[in-house]
Amino acid sequence: MAAPVPNRPVRDRRLSRIVNVGLPYLWLGLFFLLPLGIVLRISLAEPALAQPPYTALWEWLESGMVTIQLNFGNFMLVWADDLYLVAFLNSLRVALVCTLLCLLLGYPMAYAIATAPERWRLLLLMLIVLPFWTSFLIRVYAWIGILKANGFLNNFLLWLGVIDEPLAILHTQVAVYIGVVYSYLPFMILPLYANLTRLDRSLLEAAADLGCRPWRAFLRVTLPLSRAGIIAGSMLVFIPVVGEFVIPDLLGGPRTLMVGGMLWTEFFSNKDWPLAAALAMVLLGLLVVPFVLMQRWQQRAEARGS
Amino acid sequence: MKPRRWPLYTVLAFGYAFLYVPVLLLIVYSFNESRLVTVWTGFSTKWYGELLRNQQLLDAAWLSIRIAATNATFAVVLGTLAANALVRHGRFRGRGGFELLLTAPLVMPDVIIGLSLLLLFVAMQQTIGWPDGRGFTTITIAHLTFSMAYVAVVVRARLAQMDRSLEEAAMDLGARPLTVYLRITLPLIAPALLSGWLLAFTLSLDDLVIASFVSGPGSTTLPMVVYSSVRMGVSPQINALATLIVLFVTVAVIVVTLALRGGGGGRAR
Amino acid sequence: MASAIDRRSLEPWQDPQAEPYVRIERVTKKFGDIYAVDDVSLAIFQGEFFSLLGGSGCGKSTLLRLLAGLESPSAGRIHIDGVDVTDIPPYHRPVNMMFQSYALFPHMNVEQNVEFGLKQERMPRRERAERVAEMLDLLKITELRQRQPDQLSGGQRQRAALARSLAKHPKLLLLDEPLGALDKRLREHTQFELVNLQERIGTTFITVTHDQEEAMTMSTRIAVMDAGQIIQVDTPTGIYEYPNSRFVAEFIGSVNLFEGKVMRRDGDEVLVESPLGRSLQMHCPHPLALGTPVAVAVRPEKIKLCMDFRADAVNQIAGVVEDIAYLGDVSIYHVRVGPEKIVTMTLANIQPRTEQALTWGQEVAMEWSPTSGVVLTD
Repeated sequence: MAAPVPNRPVRDRRLSRIVNVGLPYLWLGLFFLLPLGIVLRISLAEPALAQPPYTALWEWLESGMVTIQLNFGNFMLVWADDLYLVAFLNSLRVALVCTLLCLLLGYPMAYAIATAPERWRLLLLMLIVLPFWTSFLIRVYAWIGILKANGFLNNFLLWLGVIDEPLAILHTQVAVYIGVVYSYLPFMILPLYANLTRLDRSLLEAAADLGCRPWRAFLRVTLPLSRAGIIAGSMLVFIPVVGEFVIPDLLGGPRTLMVGGMLWTEFFSNKDWPLAAALAMVLLGLLVVPFVLMQRWQQRAEARGS
Repeated sequence: MKPRRWPLYTVLAFGYAFLYVPVLLLIVYSFNESRLVTVWTGFSTKWYGELLRNQQLLDAAWLSIRIAATNATFAVVLGTLAANALVRHGRFRGRGGFELLLTAPLVMPDVIIGLSLLLLFVAMQQTIGWPDGRGFTTITIAHLTFSMAYVAVVVRARLAQMDRSLEEAAMDLGARPLTVYLRITLPLIAPALLSGWLLAFTLSLDDLVIASFVSGPGSTTLPMVVYSSVRMGVSPQINALATLIVLFVTVAVIVVTLALRGGGGGRAR
Repeated sequence: MASAIDRRSLEPWQDPQAEPYVRIERVTKKFGDIYAVDDVSLAIFQGEFFSLLGGSGCGKSTLLRLLAGLESPSAGRIHIDGVDVTDIPPYHRPVNMMFQSYALFPHMNVEQNVEFGLKQERMPRRERAERVAEMLDLLKITELRQRQPDQLSGGQRQRAALARSLAKHPKLLLLDEPLGALDKRLREHTQFELVNLQERIGTTFITVTHDQEEAMTMSTRIAVMDAGQIIQVDTPTGIYEYPNSRFVAEFIGSVNLFEGKVMRRDGDEVLVESPLGRSLQMHCPHPLALGTPVAVAVRPEKIKLCMDFRADAVNQIAGVVEDIAYLGDVSIYHVRVGPEKIVTMTLANIQPRTEQALTWGQEVAMEWSPTSGVVLTD
C-alpha cells in the first residue's frame, strides 16, 4: 500500500516537528542522558594509573572474543565503608531538615505575598527573585563573615550582652542549615506563590459564610488546595540539596560531610573516577523517587490547569 | 471576621531581612578600609581599585562573560524550540520522555551533571578526537544543557498563555507558518526570550561546580577564582566584586521588569 | 412571471438550477472519538448572509474553522466557487475570518493590522496604501489608524478586525460570534450595520452565533445545528414559523408543544387527539399515517383569548392564569390547562397595565387557528 503523498501543510508541520522536537531531544540525549550512561559504565570499572584513570569495561581478545569485566567493588565499598554511608545519611538529613525549614518560613511568606494588595505583589515577588539572580557563591560567602568567631553575629550578640564568648557556628551543621535555607528559599516560595494566587478567594469566603473560622478554613481549604505547590517547592529544594557541594564545603566542617563533597574529593583529590561515578549513581538512585513524585504532580497540576 | 494579618507580615519582614541583611553587610563592608572584613575602620574604595588591578580575576571574569553570553544565546534557541514542541505539537510520540529530560536538569545536583559531562568529554576525545582539550567549548556545552531547560520553562509559560487565534488569524490572512512564527509569535514572546536569555546568562555566570569538572588548564572561570579565594578566608576584594554584581543585577532586573510590563501585549484575556 | 424571477435571484436556494457558491459535501470532523461535525452537507449561494446557529459544542465553530482551513476534515469535501479547497491550507484559501476575540495583533497598529494580509500577497505599496485607506474609510475608522489595539474600545476593535478580514476582498467572509464581545446596546446597533455593510460590498458572509435573535435579524438563511449535525436550514421566517422538529421549535423562541396522536386526516388538515381531552385541528401539508405520535407546536403570540368558548370546539382550551410576567410591550401569561400542562401565551399590552383584563387566578379560554402552528413528528 503506497503511503499518500503528504501535501504542503502536512510537510511543513512534519518539518517543524523535526526541528522543534528533534533538536532539543537530540541535545539532551547526547549531553544529558548519554553522560549518565557513561557514569554507570565507569562506576563498574576499576581505577587505574592511566589516562583516563580507569580500566576498560570490555576488551577485544585476539580470538575475536569479548571479555566484559564488571566490577561491583565500588558499590560494595560505598555500602561497606561507614564514611560513605554517613555522608549519604547526612545529606538526606540536611535536605529533609532544610526542606521543612524552607516550607515553614516560605509558606507564610508566599501566603502573605499572594494575599497582599495587588499593587504590592509585583514588588514583593521581585524582592524574592532578586537574590536568586545574584551570585550564589557570593551569597554563601556572605554568611562566612556573619557566622565566624569574630563575625557580625557574634559581635552583635556580645555587644548585646546575650553571650560572653563567641558561639562556634561556622563549620557546624547549623551553619549548613542556615546557608541552605538562605539559598533555596526562593525555590520554595515561587511555586507556592504561583499556586496560592490561583486559589479562588471566594472559596474562603464561602467557608467563612458557612461558619468556618479563618484558621480552620486555612487548614481545611487553603492547605489541601495548595498541596501541588507544596510538593513542587519541596522537591525543588530537596533534590538539589541532597547533592549540594558548595554550602557544606564553605560553611560546614569536617563533621558535616555530604555526598557532594565526598564525590568531589574522590574525583579531584583521590583521582578515583570509578568510585566517584559509583557515588554519583547511588545519589542518582536516591533522587529518582522524589523526582518521579515531582513530575507526576506537575503533570497532574497541568492537566487540571488546561 | 477578618483574620489578623500582622503575624503574617512579621514572618514576611523576617524573611526579607534574612534574605537581604547578608547582602547589605557585604556591600557596606566593601567600603571598609580594613582588611579584616568584619571590623569597620573607615570608608575607602581601595578594594575596588585592587579588584580592577587583579589581572587573574579580570581574565576569569572576561572568560565567564563570554561563556555566559554564548550559552545564553544558544540556550534561548534550544529552549524556545523545546517550548514550541511542548506547547505547539501536543501529543507527539515520546513526549513523556521529552518532558522528563527537560525537567531533570532543573533539579539534578551539579556534581552529577559535572561529573557525567566530563566523563562524556573524555570518552568522546578518546573515540572521535573531539573536543580537543577542555575549556570554553566544553563549559559552554555543559551550561547549555541545564540553561536550556530553564529557558524552556520561561518561554513555555508565555507561549501557553498566548492567544492562539492570533497565529490563526495571521495564517488566515495568508501568512505561511514560518512567517507567522517570525512576524507574530516571536515578537509576542520576545519578553520571555529576553528574560530567558538573562536567566541563562546568570546561571552560567554563577556556576562553580559544573565548570570545575569540565574546564581544563588555562580556562578558569570567575566562580572558580572566587571559590579558591573564599576558601582562604574572607577578602574585601570579594566584597567589592559582590557589590558590583548586585548593582548590575538589580539594574538589569528592574529594566527587564519594566520592559515586560511596558511592551507586554498579547496576553491572554 | 417577473416576480417569480426576482424571487429566484433573491432566493437562489429556491432555484434547482442555481449553482451553489460554497458546497460542503458530507463533511465529518472527529476529535479523538468525538464527532464535532457529523456528515454535514450544505449549499450556500453567492451574496448570502448565512448563519450557523446552535448551542455551545454543537460543532458550528468547527464547521467555520473547516471552511477557513484551520481544521482539515476527517472525511468529505469542501468547494468554494467551483474549486475543491479541501486540501488547500488556510494561507492559500480565498477566505478570510473574523475571530471571536478579534485576534488583532497587539504589536501592530490598526493600519498595520489591516495591511498585514495585503503584504502577505505582495501587493505593490501604492495599491496597498489605497486598499488600506478604502477599508478604513468603509468601516469609518480612518482617524484610528495609528492606534494600538489596546487603545481601542470594543466596538472599534470589532471594526478594525472587520476591516482587516475584508481587506483582501475575500470570496467568503467567516465571522465567529461577530457580536459576542460587544455589550447588548452596541450589539443591536451593530447587527444592522453589519447587514448594511454586507449588502453594500456583496461578499458572501457566513457567521456563527449562539444568539437566535442575532441570527434572525441578520441572516438570509439559518442552519440550526445540534451535536455536529444540521437539523434544519431555512430562512428566518421558515425556521420560526415552520420548524421541522421539536428541537428547532424549542431552540428558536418559545413554543407550546401539545403531544398527541393523529386521529383523522382531511385533505391538508389533520385532527390530533391530545391528552388534554380536546382534539386539535392543524394544517399539515405532508401525509401522516393515522396513529402517528406527533406534537402540535404553537407559538405563544399565536394564541388568542377566546370570546365564545364551546366545550366541543377545536383548538380551544380553558385554564387558570397562574403567572404573569409584564415586559412592557407584551405580557407573558402562564395558564394552567391541566394537572401537568401549562400553556404560555403572549398578549400585546395595547391598554395600560392597570386596565388589563387578566389577573392571577382568573379563568380564561384560548384558541388558535389551524394555520398558526405546525405538526411535528421529530
